[in-house]
Amino acid sequence: MNDILERALNTAQLEGASYAEARTVDARSQLLEVKNRQVSALNESSSLGLGVRVIVDGSWGFAASAEVSVADAEACARLACRVARAGAKFRRGPVVLAPLAPAVARYQTPFKLDPFEVPLADKIALLVEATGIMEREKAVRVAQGGMQFWEERKHFASSEGARIEQRIVQSGAGLTAWAVDADDLQIRSYPNSFGGQYECNGYELVERLDLVGHAAETAATAAALLVAPVGPAGVTTIILDGSQVSLQLHESCGHPTELDRALGHEANYAGTSFLTPDQLGTLRYGSPAVNIVTDATTPRGLGSFGYDDEGVPAQKVDLVRAGRFVGYLTSRETAAMLGQTSNGTMRAESWSHIPLIRMTNVNLEPGTWTLEDLIADTDDGLLMTTNRSWSIDDRRYNFQFGTEVGVEIKQGKRGRLLKNCTYTGITPEFWGKCDAVCDAAHWEIWGTPNCGKGQPSQTMRTAQGAAPARFRGVQVGVGTGS
Amino acid sequence: MTPPPRTAAPDAGATLSREEAQLLLREAIGQSAAEQTEVLIEARRESLTRFANNEIHQNVTSLNHTLTLRARVGRRTGSASTNRLDSSGLRQLADRALAIARLSPEDPGLPEIAPPAGLPAIDAFVPATAASTPEERAAAVGPVMAEAAARDLNAAGALSTVAGAVGFANSRGVFAFQPETYSQFTCTVRSGNSSGWVDRHRRDVRALDVASLGRVAIEKAERSRNPGAIEPGSYTVVLEPNAVAELVLFLATLGLGAQAEQEGRSFMGGRMGERITGERATIADDPFDPRAFGRPFDAEGTPRQRVTLIERGVARGVVHDRRTALKAGVESTGHASPPPGTEGPLPYSLVVSAGDTPLEQLIASTERGILVTRFWYNRVVDAKRTLITGMTRDGTFVIENGQLTRGLRNLRFNESVLGVLERADAWGREAEPTVFDYVGNCVVAPALRVRDFRFTGVSPF
Repeated sequence: MNDILERALNTAQLEGASYAEARTVDARSQLLEVKNRQVSALNESSSLGLGVRVIVDGSWGFAASAEVSVADAEACARLACRVARAGAKFRRGPVVLAPLAPAVARYQTPFKLDPFEVPLADKIALLVEATGIMEREKAVRVAQGGMQFWEERKHFASSEGARIEQRIVQSGAGLTAWAVDADDLQIRSYPNSFGGQYECNGYELVERLDLVGHAAETAATAAALLVAPVGPAGVTTIILDGSQVSLQLHESCGHPTELDRALGHEANYAGTSFLTPDQLGTLRYGSPAVNIVTDATTPRGLGSFGYDDEGVPAQKVDLVRAGRFVGYLTSRETAAMLGQTSNGTMRAESWSHIPLIRMTNVNLEPGTWTLEDLIADTDDGLLMTTNRSWSIDDRRYNFQFGTEVGVEIKQGKRGRLLKNCTYTGITPEFWGKCDAVCDAAHWEIWGTPNCGKGQPSQTMRTAQGAAPARFRGVQVGVGTGS
Repeated sequence: MTPPPRTAAPDAGATLSREEAQLLLREAIGQSAAEQTEVLIEARRESLTRFANNEIHQNVTSLNHTLTLRARVGRRTGSASTNRLDSSGLRQLADRALAIARLSPEDPGLPEIAPPAGLPAIDAFVPATAASTPEERAAAVGPVMAEAAARDLNAAGALSTVAGAVGFANSRGVFAFQPETYSQFTCTVRSGNSSGWVDRHRRDVRALDVASLGRVAIEKAERSRNPGAIEPGSYTVVLEPNAVAELVLFLATLGLGAQAEQEGRSFMGGRMGERITGERATIADDPFDPRAFGRPFDAEGTPRQRVTLIERGVARGVVHDRRTALKAGVESTGHASPPPGTEGPLPYSLVVSAGDTPLEQLIASTERGILVTRFWYNRVVDAKRTLITGMTRDGTFVIENGQLTRGLRNLRFNESVLGVLERADAWGREAEPTVFDYVGNCVVAPALRVRDFRFTGVSPF
């Protein structure tokens, strides 16, 4: 593999590249889905290829090929240089990269049980058992269980001397119960929506989740939601569970702190950001209780790695400190525009894509509350659990989220189960209303397997660490409320 | 050994010929020791010139191919995919799919693999698109950036071209092959406090008049400068074709596929033959509509049929693959999804029947309302009610006395798709395709004027 990368770099430099990087990725994945004790999807996929990214005449070019050989490396490098040269006439200034000490390193995500070595029959049996338990609930029309596993073996080399090998192993699993009657459809997921929980981890994640042990409660809640009253409309206090805080972080902090968005690079597709560079260090993003970091070293985090796809080491960086906006997710190119060095967030979906600024693990630091104390401290409000619907504008201001489950809180105690609960707000106003975050014992690193960005569109696996948190004076029930 | 598709000339031309596909698929089936085998290949060269802040900032081209093999042993099936197309890679793939099949439990709902059938032809490959070069793409977008800069505006967007092919074969003798091309120009132009957008999809890149399209986005950005706010509430809206397509797309996954119906999740469930929306609403899946980026066969090798889904507001049908068809006791309509296909069969070429009113007339005949260029980040709130929330983006205007008078800050909506079609009182004459993924998910839709469209919130911009 090293010969191929070296040839790509050498060819690019002979073709006039001032900078070149070459990356091979050998990826495989496994997807299992069981519905009502029957295997409904089972596919294994593998993909190997080479991508070459260059700067020629101050302009980026990229070419990628599924053929990985010395000859293809040469062809790819030449094409990348041609592509770059074609764009050079339409640059306002040359691309400048922030300085980086080239790394020569190997990295592997820690895990105990290789998920690809666990017998398929065991995985299927587990999902059949769990969905069989869920099926006992009469209102549950579809009892679904799933697992996904990914492995990437990456080789990265740059013309600056970086030589990095990485092996990233990720696992995910979960349950979903669909309860149906003539007029309604209600979903309950365990332990989270989007198929469950995902981590940089081995099969021990699946064992820890205990899908069989949670199947009955998942199904029962779905059935109970069918006959539950609709959540209220109005202004109230809400407590979000950790998984919903996680998605709130993803959408309203992670994306707007991507510096490429803030600089307009994604204006045509993903959008821009209300967090413009002139506000860095001064804007009040949230209450003093809000401290948010991006941390690519978080144990088990789906956004953890050793080095990003520019060869920058994984880092932990402040985004929001005591409610103030203090940092961005950056790349070498965008960091240089702010006079900074990259904090290592560039990742590509595959060998056939260029790296983009992507969330690593965007974490809300834990506070001091227990969930029970937080509920006891709330006179009137809603406890909202597990995302069901999510939408936010292209500058990441106006959002509306819905959750699978709502529980009313009356005089510090849990009340009725509620369905179709939604809440809406404007990002800095909303985080400004956060007056309590639960403690480290309630904190979890939640994986998001389906983050979309870029043209051509790329899907990335990220994570957000969060504990339950409370927000005062929030508009609820828009669109659905009773 | 069959030579794989090569990248020796990776910047132009077809990705996979019919003969190459036939040899490759035949070899893959030959490598399989399963009782029955199905093989699907997709090859794709994707090139994209992307710009932002009036300069080209990303410029890419990639070539890939993915071969999926499904092996059957009795009532057991296993599936595996690879992009290694040499003999060794194909052998490993076939062995793995067979091993998965043997480890899988018996599948009582497993249908027969497709028999040979006459396949309709679709003219979907345009050599000029396949031959598009990075120099041509850069030259095409250059004037858009220059004009935006000259007007103190900021242009971002992409011109992309895709050349690809899809092939299918099975051990009953089916062989199907379709070469295809796709191109898209999309552009957002921003001023300090406004933006405009345009988005067009064509098989033939030469049919994209990039400079003229860029001026559409420029004009919208200029006309919506200094946008004002409007209180949330119900308004008459004129939705441009992209905005209509964004809403109609949700019907595909919420109920126009047979799996959703059979699982009880569909808004169509138990309502077949009933009126479910406005009498002017007719929606079909029509892969043979030249605007709809259709394919003539599905991922099971079944010929695709035109299916009327909603006819003058009445629920008429859903699309099937072989599994859902077997369960329903009908024939597959040729709408099997590509692997892993967890959503089941889906309509991929939705066509909403157009009306007879030009867009300009829809605006001119509106006394007071709101023009929506596009919707953004739309998500399901209540599946059974087809209730969607999302935002307006890149060109929202007040209509007063038939004129666009000023730009508006972006608005959040909560609306039922079927309700929108029910309350549409004027239907546009010109329909535009919006492609959500080049392999399918195309919606051809006209503009609509809709009464009492419900906006529930407003953004600060």
